[in-house]
Amino acid sequence: MPLDPAVLKREFPEFELRVERGKIREYALVLGLQDPVHTDPEAARAAGYPDVVAPPTFVRQFWHENPDNDPMPHLGYDPKRRLHGEQEFEYLKPLVAGMVLRGRNAIVFHEEKAGKRGGKMTFVVIETRFADEKGELVQVARRTLIETAAPPKVEG
Amino acid sequence: MRYKAGDPLPGLVKEPVARVQLVRYAGASGDFNPIHFDDEAARSRGLGGVIAHGMLSMGFLGQFVEAAFGPGATRKLEVNFRGMVKLGDVVTCRGRVTEVREAGGRSLAVCEVEAVNPEGAVVTQGVAEAWMG
Repeated sequence: MPLDPAVLKREFPEFELRVERGKIREYALVLGLQDPVHTDPEAARAAGYPDVVAPPTFVRQFWHENPDNDPMPHLGYDPKRRLHGEQEFEYLKPLVAGMVLRGRNAIVFHEEKAGKRGGKMTFVVIETRFADEKGELVQVARRTLIETAAPPKVEG
Repeated sequence: MRYKAGDPLPGLVKEPVARVQLVRYAGASGDFNPIHFDDEAARSRGLGGVIAHGMLSMGFLGQFVEAAFGPGATRKLEVNFRGMVKLGDVVTCRGRVTEVREAGGRSLAVCEVEAVNPEGAVVTQGVAEAWMG
């Protein structure tokens, strides 16, 4: 299904995200992170951070927080053909517990290509920019979401 | 940590991926797609059984880069998802420095990184940049 051009032009509302110690700990434990800067506020302070440090893929959880803020559920992709093709994070400032970020999603790239066995493949890149209380950029995330080509319909 | 172009990064071998880990990752990340914890759901999508979240293997690569350069040193992590990690798989992360750039009076290491499954297939591959000092 071709993408709705209105979705490509739509502005998605800014959202707030509070970076909490408990969530950082939950992430650190499931990934098996050994460094105590993620779980022990004293160790984090000794390393020069005001509080525990978020693991590198931490902000990923906010994709699912509120579907109104995120283009993904509005792309109209068939869930059976949807792939997360690529992911990028840029780290501009440390992300630590206690910070309140403002995030905003935007579609920054869109392309349709012919599939190898017919049909059409769709590529969309969603960029999420996270800024701190001063308005300074902390992280930028870019998700490439692919809808693989539907197998061509057999006639008759 | 100081590295020069061509240096390998210290490898990271993870514990076998466990179902409870995938359930906990679903909770931590908010990704409750049942193909990551329910075999029936995975089979209905043509998979042999549950598979790990792609973002879990990216999380392992994040840990790998952090272990090599220190927490807070990572400037960028960029991956593509090429293969699947199954239950019980031991994921190995490896990489090497391809270039050292000077930027704003600091040294930035550019690295190739990859996560590999027990069959040796690359499941997640990409580029990391990290500050040295």
